[in-house]
Amino acid sequence: FFGSDLEKFITSLNTYRMGPEPGCHFNASRTQQILQATLDRYLEGVCYSPDSCSQLCQMLADLVLSKLKDVNPPRYKLVCQVVVGQSGKQGISVASRSLMNPNTDNYTSAVFQNHSLFAVALVHGMYFE
Amino acid sequence: IVVALFDKNVQNNEEHNLAVESTIGNSSYQHSKINQWMSGIVESSLSQLTKLGKPFKYIVTCIILQKNGAGLHTASSCFWDNSTDGSCTVRWENKTIYCIVSVFGLAI
Repeated sequence: FFGSDLEKFITSLNTYRMGPEPGCHFNASRTQQILQATLDRYLEGVCYSPDSCSQLCQMLADLVLSKLKDVNPPRYKLVCQVVVGQSGKQGISVASRSLMNPNTDNYTSAVFQNHSLFAVALVHGMYFE
Repeated sequence: IVVALFDKNVQNNEEHNLAVESTIGNSSYQHSKINQWMSGIVESSLSQLTKLGKPFKYIVTCIILQKNGAGLHTASSCFWDNSTDGSCTVRWENKTIYCIVSVFGLAI
């Protein structure tokens, strides 16, 4: 069975809900504020070092997710991605595109930079029917 | 409600590799062309994913980094259903560029 295509049938209770309740949408501006505040607070004065930054990156991602779970409206899935890099004289570009329903789904991003590192955090909120 | 599993198989990886290869190929880092490349990679990845015709919402992220000796880390954490959702990351490089493409698939 390993490696073969599996089609799983999952049954769940029907709530007859077609979309998120009014006022319960993914709040992009509030998420952006939380993201920016978290990045600023945790990366203020931190110096880039190759060994510690991988853990820092993962920790930031988990931290952001836990903060967002508190304000997350019901029936929304979250995907959070954090990129941390050394501030060298290199060019970097981060882009994202998604296939989603613009009425119910949204995304936010935040950027932080200091003399030795930069960080980009990206969060997508997707409504789950 | 019928839900299909997000299948992280080799085919997915190859498709993304092809998408990156066909867009950047052997070019070296050029600041002016970055936007074009990024759009090209992300759009071709997304269109190939939609051709699979599965009931998923997709998020495609692309990071292009110039090779200059600097370090980079990426991490992602997700709040989803482990049994139906998944992600896949492809790394590609040439002499002057690193390219990382991540795809997240969420079942609807």
